[in-house]
Amino acid sequence: MSEQATRSHPHLPGESGVWVFILGDMLMFAAFFIVFMFYRGEDVALYAKSQLTLNQHLGAVNTFLMLSSSWCVAVAIETARGGRPRGAQGWLLSAMACAVGFVVVKFFEYSEKIAAGFTLTSNDFFMYYYMLTGLHLMHVLLGLGVLTYLWFTLRAPSAASTLRTLESGASFWHMVDILWIVLFALLYLVR
Amino acid sequence: MNIRNELLCIWSAVLFVIIFTIGIWPLTHFLPPHLPTASAEEIAALYQDRTWQIRLGLFLMMGCSGLVCAFVAAITVAMKRMEQGAGPLTYTQLSAGSLGAVLLIIPCLVWTVAAFRPDRDPQLTLLLNDMGWIMLFMPFTTFVVQNIAIGLAILGDRNAAPVMPRWVGFLNLWVAVLFVPGGLLTFFKKGPFAWSGVFVYWVPLVVFLGWYLVMFAMLRKSALRAGAAV
Repeated sequence: MSEQATRSHPHLPGESGVWVFILGDMLMFAAFFIVFMFYRGEDVALYAKSQLTLNQHLGAVNTFLMLSSSWCVAVAIETARGGRPRGAQGWLLSAMACAVGFVVVKFFEYSEKIAAGFTLTSNDFFMYYYMLTGLHLMHVLLGLGVLTYLWFTLRAPSAASTLRTLESGASFWHMVDILWIVLFALLYLVR
Repeated sequence: MNIRNELLCIWSAVLFVIIFTIGIWPLTHFLPPHLPTASAEEIAALYQDRTWQIRLGLFLMMGCSGLVCAFVAAITVAMKRMEQGAGPLTYTQLSAGSLGAVLLIIPCLVWTVAAFRPDRDPQLTLLLNDMGWIMLFMPFTTFVVQNIAIGLAILGDRNAAPVMPRWVGFLNLWVAVLFVPGGLLTFFKKGPFAWSGVFVYWVPLVVFLGWYLVMFAMLRKSALRAGAAV
């Protein structure tokens, strides 16, 4: 981590400290993924059978929303760099809209699963399904808070420091995006 | 400000970690944790076979937990410098941190009750044993609030020479997120999210220890700098 922080080239997005959080969080999720794959290896049949009950369409919609949201944040940064804070705010709002969409889809997905009788304690696959997507959802909600904060910093932008804050927040949001992509692949797609 | 008192409170953290480790590891053998799937007879046997070691270990674990208050006070003093006077985050940390000490002491007392009459009905020993484990590992709320308060205070530090580097602030926020899964142990008797699991017992234990080390080093630096400035 400190190695990442002290290397000044190439450009490290955001302030170096935020990468302690991001890399730490990714380490944690990497541990989740390894544990999941390990236990999946012990009982592939159960995991494969349970996986078939997941709604891949909703998963794909959420992947699309997450990617779009990340893209909007990237455009927001470019717009802010170009000296147009109002435009950047608009892109941030679009990113937030996608994130809210993600949460809504997740709500329907969970309801569908619970209605079908699959809960946290149904079997090991669903334990991981709910715990991992739930912890990710917690990150999405945190991220919504971060994006809102970024929107407010753009109301009174002060060039360099605002841009750095924007980059820090955006880096966090891209991490939430990447974690979802891996989750989607592991839970919904892996054969 | 008397820097000697401040350093005393900071160093108490080292004493706490050493004594608590002696208690939880070689004496009680609560490291590694009991399995939530163990039968009443198995758990009762643990208390019957190691009665005095468990009593002594819990005595030490409970006895050193008061030192957490001193460490929380040291954090409070550093946060007052960050907030330039005791601000709301400082008070949040002080109260949440103090409650955290209580949440260490009570499980030790509950386990002590189990060890007090190890020959009672194994079902009752199991009940008390469960109570101790759940009380120690489920209540993430005070730790999360404490860590967020510290993190936000560090990141909001407007001093020309900040009290702590900003990465420590982000570290505290990360630690806060990490403690949340522990609260879900109520759903599981086995697997990585049970109280004996990697994400409830082992990861938080290692992170907690690492957090103590980082905070110890940073507080010490902050105190020495404040002492030099006087």
